[in-house]
Formats: sequence, structure tokens, C-alpha cells
Amino acid sequence: MQELLARLKALDPNASLALRIIACFDELVRGGVNIHGLLGAAASLAGCVAGYAGQPSARTMRVAPSGEILKDRGTATRDCALEADGMTVWLERDGPAHVNDRMILERLALALAVRSGHRAEDPLRRLGDLLDAGVDVSARRAIAAKLGLAPQLKYRVASLPLFATWRQHRELLEDVVHSPFGPLHVCVLRAEVKTIDASPCGIGVATGIDDLHRSFSTALVSLRLCAVPNVPVVVADDYGGLVDLLAQCSIDRPLLDAEELESVMQHPWAAQTLDALLRSASVRDASRIAGVHHSTMQARLETMRDLLSFDPMDGIGRTRVGLAFLAWRIRHSTALDLPPPGNR
Amino acid sequence: MTERHLGVIEGVGRQARVGRPPFDPELRAGLAIVGGMFPPTVTSELIDFMRVSYAGPPLDTLIGGRSIRCEDRVFEGYEGHALTASVFRHERASGRRPGILFVHSGGMMFGDRFSGLDRMIDFVELLGVVLVSIEYRLAPEHRDPYPREDVYAALEWMASNAESLGVRLDRLLIAGASAGGGLAAGAALAARDRGGPRLCGQLLDYPMLDDRGITKSTRQFDGIGVWDRVSNETGWSALLGDARGGPDVSAYAAPARATRLHDLPPAFLDVGSAEIFRDETVAYADALWNAGGDAELHVWPGGFHAFDIFAPHTALSRGMIATRRAWMSRVLGD
Repeated sequence: MQELLARLKALDPNASLALRIIACFDELVRGGVNIHGLLGAAASLAGCVAGYAGQPSARTMRVAPSGEILKDRGTATRDCALEADGMTVWLERDGPAHVNDRMILERLALALAVRSGHRAEDPLRRLGDLLDAGVDVSARRAIAAKLGLAPQLKYRVASLPLFATWRQHRELLEDVVHSPFGPLHVCVLRAEVKTIDASPCGIGVATGIDDLHRSFSTALVSLRLCAVPNVPVVVADDYGGLVDLLAQCSIDRPLLDAEELESVMQHPWAAQTLDALLRSASVRDASRIAGVHHSTMQARLETMRDLLSFDPMDGIGRTRVGLAFLAWRIRHSTALDLPPPGNR
Repeated sequence: MTERHLGVIEGVGRQARVGRPPFDPELRAGLAIVGGMFPPTVTSELIDFMRVSYAGPPLDTLIGGRSIRCEDRVFEGYEGHALTASVFRHERASGRRPGILFVHSGGMMFGDRFSGLDRMIDFVELLGVVLVSIEYRLAPEHRDPYPREDVYAALEWMASNAESLGVRLDRLLIAGASAGGGLAAGAALAARDRGGPRLCGQLLDYPMLDDRGITKSTRQFDGIGVWDRVSNETGWSALLGDARGGPDVSAYAAPARATRLHDLPPAFLDVGSAEIFRDETVAYADALWNAGGDAELHVWPGGFHAFDIFAPHTALSRGMIATRRAWMSRVLGD
């Protein structure tokens, strides 16, 4: 995998390899991969032998980048080593350490500690717990305090795919967190920060420490409303309660009108037309925004009225179609699909 | 973190939830690294990118520090076109040795004679074989029958030049991976039908056999993993054009179409359970058995396409590599 990482860097110099390493070890821990497998991944990522010595049994294991266990005890210098949780992990590298070595060792040590039963959880995985409503609120408050978050202040969660393109990556409180869409990059921002120099990116609503999971779920909806390059960043505030509502829809309870809207969306003009209608006060305005003749817009509206069980321009119908259109955009979102490499 | 807490809205169409075997945990971790290198969905717009991204490693990387020599030879491909073959042999090889003709991977559209060659080159050291890896012409610039007839021409060239290549004619094997696996299976069919070189085995690693895209496994892997349904359509369309999926596709191009599977060399087939080629590989092995043939089939649980190339260090890959070696040793070894 070392060769793959190098190639990846060459193909996409902005790729965040550290995040990928974190995500890689996360998957190994979640998948219950054994010590041999953990060392194999580290060796493969580093391109050299990875080893560990545990205590008190003084168990040692050395694994080659090929994944083979090496029988001898090795003679390499252990410049590139880390001691934690009563064990030592190291990379047997000839020459100076590589830029990702420290990250690989750190994640390897954590994964080994979890696997060996020394740790029930990952101490660096606190951000994930902070954003999880399933974690006891007092535990979340304690984590927030450790991370230096003030209880009286509000914060926002930003979520991005691991492959997001960064124009400028400032020092942030950030981590990789699991979601149903796979590992995601999340950052915690102060409430007044409503931009981030990366795309695609969803920025959640500002909340207090106890409700950061809500900020995260609105960030996730916002991220899925992104459509690079036209909509690189979405701030949940722009949609307010709508995003909050959408964040509460689930697989078990899909939005009624979203199902119905699918028939309208089969028309190639539908997305652009609905977008124009929702951003305007009148059909005439909408025609102008969409750049079509007034009569064309009227005809499209007629088609919509035929396909829907409600009038999308009439009173509550506007709200219904607006919400359904947002749900449709999320459903068909490609923000979390890896973009074609040439287009970055 | 549960999905309920996140309030996701389930996708439809391509994103819809489909029951499918999960990826092996070590391989899933590998995907976190590979992601972006080999996009799950390869469309025709991505062919140029893939030709760069999937280019084989430099020769030095492949044989540096190993007891292997490489020489390039020229052979006549289909219609007499001059093509390159790299011939690898052990430094201390003497006399005539078993021979492997290797057909590289790359969805019929990309890759070169050095792509995915590491595991094949191992056999030069392990078994002292002469390994011949060939450039065949690629689609869409060269549609069917160019790729398969280039491969067949290479097979005939190898047999008729066995003496100068130092290859034993009684131990000549064809091997291929992915698209190359399909082409290798097609060449074995053609050799039988045309009275061509006699093969002692066909090694078909996760072969691309069926242009019709009709299997359950093809539908299960759409937009995820490595080489999904759409990628496969892109590859077959590049090769066959409008004929893809229609009645006029040769079994030499898409061996899943073959109805006569008797008198073929012993086959070794391996594939992941979590890839689109699972069902067509299993079906091909089954068809070989039904025709009274000799086939060994391994389905590796949770394996995505070509996982042994992308993540060779994992337990699943090491199992696949060792199992394949055991068969090759039985068929080709001294």
C-alpha cells in the first residue's frame, strides 16, 4: 500500500494521506482484525517491517510489508519506535523516518491496545463520541472539556469526505468519524465561523456542547446538498428548520412527497426548473432565473401539476414541493461519491 | 454511531441498498487507502486517466534484486502487426523450462505487459518457468477481434519458437487476470477449436467472461469497490461496440458464451465473493465440470476485484496467493 499511497500523492498532491491512514486503522479495529493483520497493514503502509513487543508476556511479532510473519527477532535500529500502553511498536526503516511514520505508529499502537483488551476505546476517537447522542451527556461534556471546548459557547460541526479538496487547511479540531456512508472527515468550528476552504463541505447549525450531534446531523445533510463545482459548500443556517427536519428523516420513514416527486424529476428540465421556482416569488421571476420563456415555464408547471397530487405553486404546496426537492437532492447526492480523478 | 442518529435519507437507483456480501475488514481498510486510485466506476471519459494510473511499474521495480533476467522480443500479432513480448527467465535457467503466457488485466482498455505482474514473476523464481508477458492491442482503438487474436497469435508464436525461447511444449500454460483472464480462457477455446498449441493448464484469476451483465453479482456491485457494473459495461462496449450483449458475440471474446466446454486444459479459477465477476467465474467452473473437465475453483469471502494486487499483505490475499501457487506448482513444477 506504500506504493499506492505514493501514487495517490502523485496523482492528487492535495490528498490528505494522514486521514486515509486514520480511516484505514479505524476499519481494521472495527472489523476486529487480529494483531498480525494490524502489523501487516502498518508494514504495508510504511513499506518496511513493522514490529511490536507486548508486556508482560514479552510477546513480539514482526511482520513484513508482504504480510508474512518474520521468524527472527531482527537487528534493525529502533529509531522509529513508540512506547504506549506498556508495549513498544516500531518500523524497521533504513534511513530517515518518512512523513507518515509517526501517524502509522500512533494508530498502530491504539489499534493494538484495543485488540489486546488494554483499552476499550480509542482516546483519540473522542470527537466521534462527542457527536454521538448515544454517548452519555456527562461523558460528552468531559470530552468537550478535554478538547478545550467552552461549555457556555456554541460550535458548529463541518463534515467532508476524505477526498475533499482543500485550498487551505488550517489547524482545526478535526477527526475521522464513522457514518453510514463510511469514514467522514469532521471538524469542530466556533459558531461564528461559517466558511471553510474546502469542497465539498457541509457546515452544521451552531449548538451548545450537549447538542453537537444535531450540528453533525445537519452538517451531514448540508454536505449531501453540495454539488461540486456549482455548490461547493452548504451552510445549514441557509435552510434553517428544513435541514433540521431532513436530518430527522430516516430510511424507515422516508418523506412522503419525495417519493411522488421522482416522477417529475424524470424530466431533464425538472431540477433546474424547481430550483428557479423555489428561489423566486412568481412564475415570471422563475422563468427569468431559469432562462426560459414564460409559456415554457407555465407548460412545465402544468406537467408538474399533472404528476403531483398537489399544486406546487399553491400555498402549502410550495412548501411541500420545496422540502421534497431538497429531499430529492439528498437522495441523489453525489457529494460522497469519489469524483472522477481528472476533475479535481 | 447509528443511522437513526444521523437521519440519513436512503438513496434510490444506484445508491439503493442492495444485499451484498460485505468486504473483508482488512480489505475494507485497504479501500480507505486505495480510494481515488482506482475509481469504482470507470466510464469512457476515464480511460485516459486509467492508462496513466494503471500503468505497470518500471521493470527495475519488478525484477530489481531478484535472480531474473528480462529480454524483449517482437512477435507478429493479428494481421502480422509487430507487438512486444517481455520474456522473463531465471538467471541460472538452463535447457527448456515450463512456459507461461501471461495476459495482463485492465478491462480491455488499459494496463500493459507489466501491470499486475509481481505475482506472476514469482513463478520465475519459484518454479523456474519462462514467463512471457505480452502487449496486446487495446480497445476502444482496437475492438474485437484485435485483443483476443493478438493473444492467440502470441500463443502460436510462443509454441513455434519454443526452442529459442527455451520453453517445454509439454508444459505450456496460459494465464490471465481480469480482462486478461477472459482473453486467456478465450485463447484456450480457440486453441482447442483450431488445433493450436496444446496447453497444460489455464489460470483464470477473477476473469472477465461475460459481456451480458446479467448476473446477480453484477447488480450487487454498482458504484462501490473496484470495477463495478458500469466499469464492466464500459469495458465490454469498448471491446464489442453495439454488439455487446447481443446475439453475435464470439465465445473467444466472451467465454461465458461458450456452449462446448469439453477437451479444455485443466483450469484454475479464483475470485472474490464481493465482486461482480463472482457469478460468471463460478458458472464457468461449473460449466467445465459439467462438460467433464478439470477445474479448481476458489471463492474468497469478502474479496473485492483483484484484491491480491491492491492489498497483497492481507490474510485473504496471502491465502489466495498461496493457493494459486500450490496449483501452479502441481501443474508446472518439476
